[in-house]
Amino acid sequence: MTTELAANGKPFVHQQAAHCETGVTSALFRHQGVDISEPMIFGIGSGIFFGYLPFIKLSHLPITAFRSKPGSVFRKAAKRLGADFVIKTFRNPQQGMDELRQLLKTGKIVGLATNLYWLPYVSERHRHNFSGHNIIVLRETESGFRICDPTFAMVDCTADGLQQARFVPGPLNPRGYMYYTKSINPHPDLRGACIKGMKDSCNAMLKIPLPIFGVRGIRFLAKKVVKSPDKLGFQEACRNLAGLVRWVEETGTGGAGFRYMYAAFIHEAAELFGSAELANLAEEMDAIGNNWREFSVISARIIKKRGKEEATFAKAGEAMLNCANREEAFFNNLQKVIRKIKT
Amino acid sequence: MKVNEVPQDDVFDYSEGIKKGNYALDDKGKYVMVPSKGWVIDEMINRMAYDEYKAKEEETRKAVLAGRKSPLAYYMELRQMTPEILGKTAGIATFRVKRHLRPEIFTKLKPSVLEAYAKALAITTEELITVPKNPRER
Repeated sequence: MTTELAANGKPFVHQQAAHCETGVTSALFRHQGVDISEPMIFGIGSGIFFGYLPFIKLSHLPITAFRSKPGSVFRKAAKRLGADFVIKTFRNPQQGMDELRQLLKTGKIVGLATNLYWLPYVSERHRHNFSGHNIIVLRETESGFRICDPTFAMVDCTADGLQQARFVPGPLNPRGYMYYTKSINPHPDLRGACIKGMKDSCNAMLKIPLPIFGVRGIRFLAKKVVKSPDKLGFQEACRNLAGLVRWVEETGTGGAGFRYMYAAFIHEAAELFGSAELANLAEEMDAIGNNWREFSVISARIIKKRGKEEATFAKAGEAMLNCANREEAFFNNLQKVIRKIKT
Repeated sequence: MKVNEVPQDDVFDYSEGIKKGNYALDDKGKYVMVPSKGWVIDEMINRMAYDEYKAKEEETRKAVLAGRKSPLAYYMELRQMTPEILGKTAGIATFRVKRHLRPEIFTKLKPSVLEAYAKALAITTEELITVPKNPRER
């Protein structure tokens, strides 16, 4: 934890976060005096999700999203916590940078979506062409901007580099996506917000009538994984599987495709409502997270070609189906529990 | 996951300082954020992705030196772009970008077009017309 001054001289506390967007959102709230944790923001903003998007490719591999679409966590969480907020995109890069500078002069701290490849402070080996990395700009300096990257540290960034990162075209073009809070309700209705967030997550996981989203999406992908070595050949199937494991473990998920973070949220909510049923559900979510970890371990064994008999694509698919079944039961139970607890 | 189950493997750090946070239960039954040093599985997946970028880059570099592709193709791979993305960044139609990947067409390009590519790829125009003789150290 480190502290630094923002543009208006107010101290800004940097706290290490697991995920970029939830980290930025909770930091924006904390800076304005509402003490709220990262998992809480994740739950209230209905961050948990599953979606398999074969038609959007990042470095020739399909996207498997374990969270809702970029930007929605901030929007939903801010709305449900009764904050007055602004979200903006720009066509003209120059205009986007000018507006950012003006906002910083008024003492605001601003959240931005940027491309991970073009951020100058990211190390060469960590660069991926992914346009959904969220950061906070604290103030302008002589050489550029002072930036807080919640998954990293406090860093300096040149103005040109930041402009490039904000406006680079490609899949999920950020178009200078920028967000900040104007004012925040100092005593938000946490219980109501939690219930809204949980209800929304249940609907997203259970009720979207398309086979690629929610619990049905996990089953869809599981079937695809089982068939993949026959369809694509062993090498290519391994590449796809490695891409999938990246999405589970590597993209700032706090472990196991955000499942541990959601368990932390349910745990916190259980304390808030004083509900034993929610506490049990938190344990169940933690166990689901362990299942996803198992899936990662099996996949890694397949890719390393260790123990060919034990670890096969069928086994990996089975582990995913197991996750799907448990998650379906989890969200059905959660729905029942929500009906019982009252704000 | 318990705090002591958070993977703390001593592996090569691909993110170079970006510590990965994991949420885990501590002894008092509360979830806390535990920074992880690394995990063998993460390291393997990262190495695969990184080696793939590197292999593609090296393959393209050799193709350029053999005269099968233009230097533009090499720098496009280097920036992890596709002709669609490069075209949008430079403001040049995708079908033209694809044509410019052929060496005989690339050599006849006007300076203004080269400048647009150089700006989009964040390199100088001199760099754009050649590729490194040796594999890039990184």
